Amino acid sequence: MRDVILPGSLNELWRCFEDKPQAAVYAGGTDLLVGVRHGLLNPEALICLDRIEELKGVGERGGSIRIGSCATHVQLLDDPLITSHLPVLWQAIRGIGSPLVRNMGTIGGNICTASPAGDTLPPLYALRAEVELGSKEGSRRMPIAEFIMRPGATRLQRAEILAGVWVKKPGEYNLHHFEKVGLRNALACSVVSMAALLRLAPDGAVEKASLAWGSAGPTIVTCPEAEEALIGKPLSTEPLQEAAALVRKAVSPISDVRADADYRRIVAGNLLLRLANVLK
Amino acid sequence: MSIRMLEVGYPAPRFDARAKVTGEGKYAVDHSREDTLWAGAKRAGIAHGIIRGIDTSAARALPGVYAVLTRKDITGTNRQGIVHKDQPVLAGEKVRHCGDPVALVLAEDRDILKKALSLIRVDIEPLPGVFDPEKALKPEAPRVHETGNILQNAVISIGNALESFNKCDIIVEDSFAVPGQEHAFLETENGLAWRESDGRIVMVVSTQAPFRDRFEIAHALGLEVDAIRVISPHLGGGFGGKDGSTVQCLLALAALHAGGRSVKMWWEREESFIAGYKRHPVRMRYRLGAMRDGALHALECGLIYDTGPYAHLGVEVMALGMEHAGGPYRIPNTFIEGWCVYTNNPISGAMRGFGVCQASFGIERMMDLLASKLGMSRLDIRLKNALRRGDRNCAGVTLVHSTGIVPCLETLGRHSLWMESGKWKGAAGPFKRRGVGIAAVSNAMGYGRGLPDSAIAKVELTREGKIRVYSGVPDMGQGNSSAFVQIAGEILSQDASGMELIQPDTDRTLPSGSSSAGRTTYTYGNALIQACKELKEKLLHRTALMLMLDEARGLTLLPGKVRHLPSGREVPLELLGRFFPETDRIVVNQFIMPVAQDNVDTGKEFKIGFPHVFFSYAAHLAYVEVDELTGKVDVKGYLAVTEGGRIINPSGFEQQVHGAVAQGIGYGLMEEVLLDEGRILNPNFTNYIIPTSLDIPEITSVSVEMVESAEPFGMKGVGEVGTNAPLPAIAGGVEDAVGRRLSRSPLTAESMLRAMDRGPGVIE
Amino acid sequence: MRISFYLNGEETHVEVPSERRFVDVLREDLGLTGTKESCGAGECGACTILVDGQARLSCLMAAAQLQGRRVTTIEGLAADGSLHPVQEAFIEYGAVQCGFCTPGVVLAAVHLLDRNPDPTREQIREGLSGNLCRCSGYVKIVDAVEAAARKMRGGTPQ
Repeated sequence: MRDVILPGSLNELWRCFEDKPQAAVYAGGTDLLVGVRHGLLNPEALICLDRIEELKGVGERGGSIRIGSCATHVQLLDDPLITSHLPVLWQAIRGIGSPLVRNMGTIGGNICTASPAGDTLPPLYALRAEVELGSKEGSRRMPIAEFIMRPGATRLQRAEILAGVWVKKPGEYNLHHFEKVGLRNALACSVVSMAALLRLAPDGAVEKASLAWGSAGPTIVTCPEAEEALIGKPLSTEPLQEAAALVRKAVSPISDVRADADYRRIVAGNLLLRLANVLK
Repeated sequence: MSIRMLEVGYPAPRFDARAKVTGEGKYAVDHSREDTLWAGAKRAGIAHGIIRGIDTSAARALPGVYAVLTRKDITGTNRQGIVHKDQPVLAGEKVRHCGDPVALVLAEDRDILKKALSLIRVDIEPLPGVFDPEKALKPEAPRVHETGNILQNAVISIGNALESFNKCDIIVEDSFAVPGQEHAFLETENGLAWRESDGRIVMVVSTQAPFRDRFEIAHALGLEVDAIRVISPHLGGGFGGKDGSTVQCLLALAALHAGGRSVKMWWEREESFIAGYKRHPVRMRYRLGAMRDGALHALECGLIYDTGPYAHLGVEVMALGMEHAGGPYRIPNTFIEGWCVYTNNPISGAMRGFGVCQASFGIERMMDLLASKLGMSRLDIRLKNALRRGDRNCAGVTLVHSTGIVPCLETLGRHSLWMESGKWKGAAGPFKRRGVGIAAVSNAMGYGRGLPDSAIAKVELTREGKIRVYSGVPDMGQGNSSAFVQIAGEILSQDASGMELIQPDTDRTLPSGSSSAGRTTYTYGNALIQACKELKEKLLHRTALMLMLDEARGLTLLPGKVRHLPSGREVPLELLGRFFPETDRIVVNQFIMPVAQDNVDTGKEFKIGFPHVFFSYAAHLAYVEVDELTGKVDVKGYLAVTEGGRIINPSGFEQQVHGAVAQGIGYGLMEEVLLDEGRILNPNFTNYIIPTSLDIPEITSVSVEMVESAEPFGMKGVGEVGTNAPLPAIAGGVEDAVGRRLSRSPLTAESMLRAMDRGPGVIE
Repeated sequence: MRISFYLNGEETHVEVPSERRFVDVLREDLGLTGTKESCGAGECGACTILVDGQARLSCLMAAAQLQGRRVTTIEGLAADGSLHPVQEAFIEYGAVQCGFCTPGVVLAAVHLLDRNPDPTREQIREGLSGNLCRCSGYVKIVDAVEAAARKMRGGTPQ
């Protein structure tokens, strides 16, 4: 059996890394511990970040919101900054796993697991979130799209952790929408998902759009062409169908036990059509 | 806690509910002893092959490994099975599915066990496998067994179907396919066994058939039946998957080699998928002919049941499916042919709805197809053809007992959910299409002819004055143990505080068959009724003795005592209990379920399990919503109307209906054992998904009570009939919503979207 | 590793490997078999316990994580012999069939009602959506939780 260490502060954490450089890090454990049980990973030790207060909480810094990487999903669902400023993220978190998983799992874990089906990811991409990485040496930031390289792989270096997520308050959007397609209504791994941030003019025409799709490629897929195509148009069937066609060209889904690539491709586009009714 | 009444017909709370809700009640998996070894099986991992060698040396050398056993450690036939004994306990020469066990490890703890299993090297020379049951029928197919791939071919036929089609005004044809379904009980297969000093093996195991288990173990391992004691606590679910040896033979083998220590075997979820039994995947071909007015005239169908590598209860499952292939309808001419076929897929066995679940999909979709071609309402065509008491069913058996499908359909037709369905459909939101579907189903109760459906009840007045019921048949959650207490309590006029219950224990309770086939409350219940009546007589007579009365007149049983009404004198039951010896305080009684008396000149291939004579009936209505953008199908409302004879406990009745509907919805929408060359692709709860609380709608359950005059208490088992209707009802609802017929289950979003993108009326 | 925590109100210490799954600590080391295991992967909720009042999956917690925490298992729910209203409602409303999911569902329901004392039926379903039940179809479970909520709010007619 391995050691499971619970450092009480970041300084303690850096010391743990020196002691066990090959240790794997987790907070809630809903992804990592399952992987360890199934023998998919075999780290020399486990470090649980659960007791490090600096990694929790949600705060405002100027025009941005900083989310601690160890904030659990349920904490975020209850947080007024998330509910008032980041409804697209709130909608996505609501559908993660189950209430039990949401009580334990963290946004940091969802990001670092780097599954294209991670439900926090499409909203974070659409929000152009930045990740804050911390190590003994200090901290660095990068766009989330740069941080996640491919399924299961991020730019985290040894002895470095994801400390927080930064999101500029998306005041320029007035419509937040997230939809996840699963094979059942809870405890469902997304088969395809879409996050949408839109600014609609008073007459209903799209002025700005930021869209992102999950489970439609090795990483989260964005489609600037589709965003472009919607500018100046209303959210009605024809413009949405045109944008959907562009999306279907942009995604590169796989076939797996849950769904065929074709299905994911078609539905990735179809999810845009839902926008025709979100205001009603 | 308030006094809990025990009267038949009263929704008494379950006798075992308190123990379960506090966590005090122990399931087999919760039992433990000192110094226990853990046992685990090394499984083939390959679907078909010859074993060239098994290298256990590295495993044996691992510290903490107590023993590693293989085929050569088994004296006995090394064959287990319920009817056909064709399944090896440990494979010695050949493996026939990925889950075939080839070695058994005993270790000090689970971590060492896992490590040891990984160190065992099995050298298997692969053989071409057969994974498609239709291909398995071909002469050139790889042979799973030397005798060939057909376990059983059979025909059930009445009248002259093939010629009768010529007289039909309309004929419809279609084909269907349903996959394997996993029981997914929450308590996986497990047991704890040890050898007593006298050499007897004692086993506490999660099992539906403790008495029969002994025979399986004895036959497989060369032991005497009475040298084995099986104790069966409440199961954390069974649904048929714990009928027949799962861990039992392996566990007994381990106990024989554990040097007197106890041994525990507990299948983790993945092993439960790989090694456990499944519902039979079935392919069906139907041809149905009718007159212009909708009267059914001829049915011809072919059903292919994929039974996996071993028989288990495959023939019996197919027999029951074939017996129900005509649905609850009057069809004067039928030709129903079935093939039960071996493949190298996982083992198929008993599961709630036992062959009928599959066939119900076929016949009910055919009825909808016929209705649409004739321009008849789906309800009317079913009412027109629905069986009534005195009719012959599609197997030629006269229905002499209560036959309630007509009142079920009529009740459905009058229900607001049916009457207002149009309004609901019209209120579909954007990108949503709504429809409703109905299904009429039946399910036989009991073993049928050829295998006595028998139970022996034992009831005792204890020394302490309690009434103790010795249940011979396990309670896997259906609540039969509570029903037994309720029946005994009613007859002996005791409330719950005066009752005790012993769960099956082959040393203390008496053989009563398996917990299956919707039979337990009926068969054991009837034996118990008689036993309780005799005990009542006896108690009153003994009281007369104690009170020096010339006769037992004027005596009545009350909670905790007997009262002489004329004089008011009372004798507490505990006084009676102390006054009379044990042998005078126990009553034993046997009951055997009646069988069909018709000499049907068909289905002769079935030595056991055909035909049946008691059937429960149901008519279901599903409210279905399809999302046009994703194809996802949701069940938004559900009505189940069930006729199950007399209702012992209305709450228990409803519980069974709800649970059956939920499993049926899972079967219809999302459950499928995915296979690739015999290997299960989704052996876990992540990718084999069952419904959560957000996937099952509100279920309205209405019961139609028909008192079965033939037998006292007149109830029929309703555990299974409810599982047969959801899939066809949902499929009907889908067709109603989007005009597409799907003929394969589950009705996933992907298959729905594909169907909608094709043209109208396309059959998948 | 020595781990100290509060178990059903009592200070408890165990000497176990830090990585040992907490469900195993409960069931095997402490003999509390009321908490069940059914999938070992967080997909079924049978192993649900309350940690500092919050419903969590004990099969996905290492023993070390429980250091200093207040744990409630199903055995600790009934205060001095009398059942919790959720437990009573489960009995009364027929929400228990095989009962294997019951401890987990009951604790999840207790946490749900703590967060939301007046949930709609849909909210109850959502709150229990991490607990699989294979026997009941959930309807009577929702009935029971709804009734328990009513009783706990003091809404039962006198």
